[in-house]
Amino acid sequence: MTDTPDYKAESPAREAWRMFRRNVPALVGVVILSFIVLATLYGTFFYAGDPYNVVWAPHERPGVTPEFPLGTDYLGRDILAGMLTGGGPTLAVGAAAAAITMVIGITLGSLAGFYGGWVDNLLMRITEFFQVLPALLFAMVLVTLFSPSLWTIAIAIGVVSWPQTARLTRAEFLRIKELEYVTAARAIGARNKRIIWKVILPNAMPPLIVSATLTIGIAILFEAGLSFLGLGDPNVMSWGLMIGANRDYILDAWWPVTFPGLAIFFTVFAVSLIGDGLNDAFNPKLRER
Amino acid sequence: MTALLDITDLKVTFNTRYGQVTALDGVSLHVNAGETLGVVGESGCGKSITALATMGLIPMPPGRIAGGSIRLAGEELVGASPARMRAMRGADIAMIFQEPMTSLNPVFTVGDQIAEAIMLHQKVSADRAFKDAVALLDRVGIPSPADRARDYPHQLSGGMRQRVMIAMAVSCRPKVLIADEPTTALDVTVQAQIFDLLNEIQRDFGAAIVLITHDMGAISEMADRVAVMYAGRIIEEATADDVLDFPQHPYARGLIDCIPALGREEHALKEIPGVVPPLHLLGAGCAFAERCEHANDRCRQEKPLLVNHDHHPAACHAVEEGRI
Amino acid sequence: MTKLLDVRDLTVRFAMPRKGLFGPRPLLEAVRSVSFTLEKGRALGIVGESGSGKTTTAMAAIRLTEAASGQVLFEGEDLLALPDEEMRAHRRNVQLIFQDPYSSLNPRARVIDIVREPMDLMEMGTMEERNARVRDLFKLVGLRPDQLNLFPHQFSGGQRQRISIARALTTNPKLLVCDEPVSALDVAIQAQILNLLARLKDELGLSYLLISHDLGVVRHVCDDVAVMYLGKIVEHASRSALFDSAQHPYTQALLSAAPSLARRKSKGYVRPLKISGDPPSPINPPPGCAFADRCPRAQDICREVQPDLEDKGPTRVACHFPGPIAA
Repeated sequence: MTDTPDYKAESPAREAWRMFRRNVPALVGVVILSFIVLATLYGTFFYAGDPYNVVWAPHERPGVTPEFPLGTDYLGRDILAGMLTGGGPTLAVGAAAAAITMVIGITLGSLAGFYGGWVDNLLMRITEFFQVLPALLFAMVLVTLFSPSLWTIAIAIGVVSWPQTARLTRAEFLRIKELEYVTAARAIGARNKRIIWKVILPNAMPPLIVSATLTIGIAILFEAGLSFLGLGDPNVMSWGLMIGANRDYILDAWWPVTFPGLAIFFTVFAVSLIGDGLNDAFNPKLRER
Repeated sequence: MTALLDITDLKVTFNTRYGQVTALDGVSLHVNAGETLGVVGESGCGKSITALATMGLIPMPPGRIAGGSIRLAGEELVGASPARMRAMRGADIAMIFQEPMTSLNPVFTVGDQIAEAIMLHQKVSADRAFKDAVALLDRVGIPSPADRARDYPHQLSGGMRQRVMIAMAVSCRPKVLIADEPTTALDVTVQAQIFDLLNEIQRDFGAAIVLITHDMGAISEMADRVAVMYAGRIIEEATADDVLDFPQHPYARGLIDCIPALGREEHALKEIPGVVPPLHLLGAGCAFAERCEHANDRCRQEKPLLVNHDHHPAACHAVEEGRI
Repeated sequence: MTKLLDVRDLTVRFAMPRKGLFGPRPLLEAVRSVSFTLEKGRALGIVGESGSGKTTTAMAAIRLTEAASGQVLFEGEDLLALPDEEMRAHRRNVQLIFQDPYSSLNPRARVIDIVREPMDLMEMGTMEERNARVRDLFKLVGLRPDQLNLFPHQFSGGQRQRISIARALTTNPKLLVCDEPVSALDVAIQAQILNLLARLKDELGLSYLLISHDLGVVRHVCDDVAVMYLGKIVEHASRSALFDSAQHPYTQALLSAAPSLARRKSKGYVRPLKISGDPPSPINPPPGCAFADRCPRAQDICREVQPDLEDKGPTRVACHFPGPIAA
């Protein structure tokens, strides 16, 4: 009996990847982000230079001295070296903050959505408390209380941005736990732990992955913002720190601020494009087109 | 006498990700005034597309009417201006949908919605229209209609909502009423009430009804004539009695024999194996050949035409050759 | 004959949202003191319209919905009184088939894993043995072994229902609860699944609790039928007694409402019994018989006194004035 034409076994994740590959803006995002990541990881092999050393006259314009293609800053430090070295910490803070956001948000959101009742009430009140805190102010307080290291910055950003993920996770859990395959799992004797982690969470992941990519972008901006206010880790070169250190001279020299600014812009832009692409790839309604 | 609604050789295509598919492939139908035509088939056979095409509601693109004609009381609807179609919809030809909850606007009272439908096509005052709406609610069997007219859709039961839809559909005394699975979402005792109501309304208003359904039981109680559809073509057409008592096409036979009917209690139901093929995989032969126990090489290579056989028209080589 | 399932006075209540800020939460009694028994190897159909409590009754009987009171004796042991862990172990005996074949299979799991999961949870045999059993079950329900590694969305509705049935059979259950198993399927596919269910019952000696709104489906598969209305059983009888000599006016109304090939428009059919209106709200059920408002035979006593389910003639019926349709 030939009920269906023979399909290859294609998992939902693989199908989403197939859709993603056809999405031109998302691929542009992947190309930009890969370039930035590769440049920050391996750029120093091709362009060795210490970003902390004063190597030339201050405020050398870009393109004038071939040794320093992007010019120098107010102390005479090499901007290209700073860009290549500072990208790593910036991206790392973004990724770490997004990871912290996801862990806290998914844990609390899934417990609240799955168990409901007083657990839900309690966890949602806590979530609301964190949500109404002015995020930047709270992060500033955390960073000043503890010494401003990359870790405290990542934690501060994570602590102020998890409520949105928690609410999203909870909404997904509320929707999915009513579906029959969850009842089916219970009917065959699955424990709650298994239902939460193996049945509901994988099905709730698509919007969470999209939200995680966007969180990375927001976290990078956040880090830049803190550094700009002079609250970044002064011992570690980052794009935000470069902007923060050079902001006073922006009217005399535009380039020490503009290049790291563009790097941040393109990173966040690329991450957003990827996030949108993932959203389209996971969204089954768009798939039919 | 020409038929009130006369569809000839209608072709509708859709652009999909599998390329262009033919959703309706030369469909011809007619309904006379005061008559009920049942259009029956499984999901994906094209029965709803036929209804939407008649209403001028095929989404274009991706859809396209590739040929044929739809005449309502002699007037050609294929290629009619959008303004003309709007004027016809609701006034000359109306439709009842499967899910009354989603086809009623939740933020207006049902009385206002019916009154609005009346005012769209008739020059009457708002007061007059609302009074007419209440009268219509009474006509479709809604108790205390003056109070119910002030209710919002969510305050009514599913059966009541479908009655409201019927009241709205007949508000301008349309010549043709298309009912697309009007009772699928309803309970069986309510379904019986709606069927009885539609039959009464037809007697009173003399409208032609096109009933789209997958249920041969509904056909039996409602239809004068039946068209059986499969994969975008009509494969059998005759009076309801002829189709139900002497089905010719193996698919029509299967649809009747596979119902776990109340009156019968045989051990195993007759099965139609497999499923309706997706439109983009249709080949040159009969679309039903894959599932048909009577199929031979000719069936797989050549599409059968709807031609008159011993009894009534059916599109089947096996019937034509006298093999069944 | 031995009783497999003996349900006694099962009652289920749901709390509705509060009316005011501090008002009490109104209780909806979805199942009102329902009792029935199911014998080994037989199939009991529970019939009713939406809101009748038929699905809730079955779900509470296998403890997937919490019951407010009552007993469910499964081979003599009260399922409602078991501690959670013991109930989990009992689940292998009681399996479930859902109405919607699209939402009842986890879309992110391969069907081989879906069908094997109950054995994984019960830690039955080795992995090879489990996979071999999945392969056997696939053949039993009419699927091909080469489809094992596909995902649910790659199957048609009827095939998904077959997968659902295979999953339910993995642990060799004694009782299969089928909740509207064919109502989401096309008519031609319904016959395939109903025939499969009938065949499995004979071959494996299964007992069914089958919930359906469609009397034709129940008549095809079930040995006994219980008709529910607003949370109560109003009539309970063997298949032949119920279909040939129904005593309750609601059962009779259901039978005359079901579309039938025997009623032809051309012959000017007349329904033997017409009822109007909708069922009353389960939040404030009427004090007497719930059907009284719509019943052609209702007298004063019907609106005041609730009739009990009693043996009266050919069927057990809850009605003050049972009997065949008056001519």
